[in-house]
Amino acid sequence: MSIKKPIWQHPFGYAESFIISFGILSVGFILEFILPKTQSTLVFPLNLILGISFFVLLVVSHFLFRKTKIHSFLSGIPLTIALVSSLSFLVILMGILPQVSSHKTGLIQQLGLNQMTSSYPFLMINVLLLIVLAFVSLRKTFPFKLKNWGFVCSHWGLWIVIFAGGLGSGDLRRLKMDVYENKIELQSYDENKKLYEMPLAIKLKDFLIDEFNPKLAIVENETGKLYEAQKPSMIMIEKGLHCDLQSWKIQVEEFYVASGRAGDRYYQLADFGAAPAAKVQAISPQNDTLQGWISCGSFNRPHESLKLNDQFSLVMTVPEPKRFSSVVTFYTPDGKKQDATLEVNKPVTVNGWKIYQLSYDDKMGRYSNKSILEVVRDPWQPYVYLGIFMMMIGAVYMFWKGRETIRE
Amino acid sequence: MIWSNFILVLLSSSLLWLLALILYKKEFLKRLFIVLGTVCIGAFIAFLWVKLERPPLRTLGETRLWYAFFLPAIGMITYMRWRYNWMLFYSLGLSLLFLVINYMHPENFSKTLMPALQSPWFVPHVVVYIFAYAFLAASSLVAVRGLYQHYYQKLDRKVMLMADNLVYLGFAFLSLGLLFGALWAKEAWGHYWTWDPKETWALITWLGYLIYIHRRHHMPNVSKSSLWILALAFVILLVCWFGVNYLPSAQFSVHTYSQAP
Ligand code: HEM
Repeated sequence: MSIKKPIWQHPFGYAESFIISFGILSVGFILEFILPKTQSTLVFPLNLILGISFFVLLVVSHFLFRKTKIHSFLSGIPLTIALVSSLSFLVILMGILPQVSSHKTGLIQQLGLNQMTSSYPFLMINVLLLIVLAFVSLRKTFPFKLKNWGFVCSHWGLWIVIFAGGLGSGDLRRLKMDVYENKIELQSYDENKKLYEMPLAIKLKDFLIDEFNPKLAIVENETGKLYEAQKPSMIMIEKGLHCDLQSWKIQVEEFYVASGRAGDRYYQLADFGAAPAAKVQAISPQNDTLQGWISCGSFNRPHESLKLNDQFSLVMTVPEPKRFSSVVTFYTPDGKKQDATLEVNKPVTVNGWKIYQLSYDDKMGRYSNKSILEVVRDPWQPYVYLGIFMMMIGAVYMFWKGRETIRE
Repeated sequence: MIWSNFILVLLSSSLLWLLALILYKKEFLKRLFIVLGTVCIGAFIAFLWVKLERPPLRTLGETRLWYAFFLPAIGMITYMRWRYNWMLFYSLGLSLLFLVINYMHPENFSKTLMPALQSPWFVPHVVVYIFAYAFLAASSLVAVRGLYQHYYQKLDRKVMLMADNLVYLGFAFLSLGLLFGALWAKEAWGHYWTWDPKETWALITWLGYLIYIHRRHHMPNVSKSSLWILALAFVILLVCWFGVNYLPSAQFSVHTYSQAP
């Protein structure tokens, strides 16, 4: 039997680690309870200055104190496990309690349990984890041994992710811009519709949209709900299409992508707002034949359906977009012009802003002259990605090495 | 119409894999049949891609095809490295399950592809998770065995070694799943991590196994507490897998598929 070491005597072990972590959690919750709630986040350049100072402090103290007992405690596994357990405790609370801000003032709100990620205990545990992670990573990196490369990748990677992700969150900007054809736009807005002046002007030269043909579908008359007794429940319209839809046989006799109604039928038309229409024949299971025009309508034309019986109607769905794109010109403050075409999933980067094609006026459909863009600036993203890729390398290393070789 | 050939794929893959199972002692033939069965699925994906004139990544059914393709592929890589036969056949079984589901539930296969949808991250994200869960579940079975031995017999050192190795592999896949998820979320929604309940529980699971790994590294000769950590981590894993939908936080999740959209 080994003799138990009295508590608070070096080397510190699990007992001390868990007591310290518990103390930190308690202090955090007390702070959360008495201090007023603020939503402030660090923004450039304060976050950068603070981050660099923190890092320099860590490196300097590592090299000054690396031989001390306190350093080996601060870079050891007992404290790691106590802190990760505390973090798990907080995250479990977060996983049980809904994380939504509310104006109620119960204990949950006062302890910040409904906004855990911006609460003091969460912040303090994370800062401590960063310190431990930095000390152990520094210890394993200097002097560098080749066999430690997997360790170095996973631990530094995680450090970089927490550090850059946390510090950078205040600098992330995600705004939207509505641009209209042949107009120059300078303003963007956030989710609260607050307006911002952009250091970048965008002129929409043309908004292009390509659509799929509309589809045939059967809906319930009363509720307007799609009838889905059998799949497929929707079939794309083509000229001369014959198909079975639920228990009806449908034939498309005529189909116009753009048309307008005149008298008792539709004619092909290229007007502003001209809508797709089709002449269809439907044969019911009882062999009754119905015939008529259907159209999905547009923002300025009514839609038209074909009533099959008391229960169901045949309708034409609004066409889905195949692809849409904005032909734009960017104007930057240095007087430069740049032409580009924005398409979904093909963003363009200008002056540190990433510009995404987001949407358009969907009521107007293909007649939209408005394009909605998303503009994003996240100067810290490359560093977080670096950390993520390092962790991935660390994970692949773990897969390849496994545990066996480490033990032997 | 395009999918009417699918039954051929299902039949040939099952047949080839059945042969592999029967001949599982013949290394070369086993591998050959497994690879051929996988190639069948790959060929069908290529065929769909050409016919639909777009990557077949739109519908659930199409996504399931990719699982059915990548599962045996990763299973084979894992097998080449670690020689776990159970893992190999587990991946084949899951893959067949996906193929059968596809066969039983053909859906609306149309050519439309919503522009915003479909990220190349989706399939790796999920396939990697399926592997992580398999390894971690296996490690927990080993842990239960270890606990039994600990209390009623003498703990075999080999059991701990096995548990450790399975956790290392499972944890590697779990990490990759989380990281793929973060990259995907960043590309699609602009945030790495939204603290959605499902994500939160995945993180808790990850932290649980992280504790186990460090504890084992620190105290390789103390097994009881580690085994309990491992058993507990599996309970969390199950919460993450099945239980999340029942928690109060779940009403805000984007990952709970039970409600109609
Ligand atoms: C939460 C932050 C983490 C902290 C504070 C931490 C801390 C530590 C410490 C103190 C050690 C012991 C090093 C030694 O003295 O030998 C260690 C080892 C180890 N850690 Fe971590 N770690 C963390 C995250 C991770 C992650 C994310 C992974 C996996 C991807 C990981 C995998 C490992 C492995 C495999 C070892 C054994 C290293 C070896 O055999 O050389 N750790 N960690």
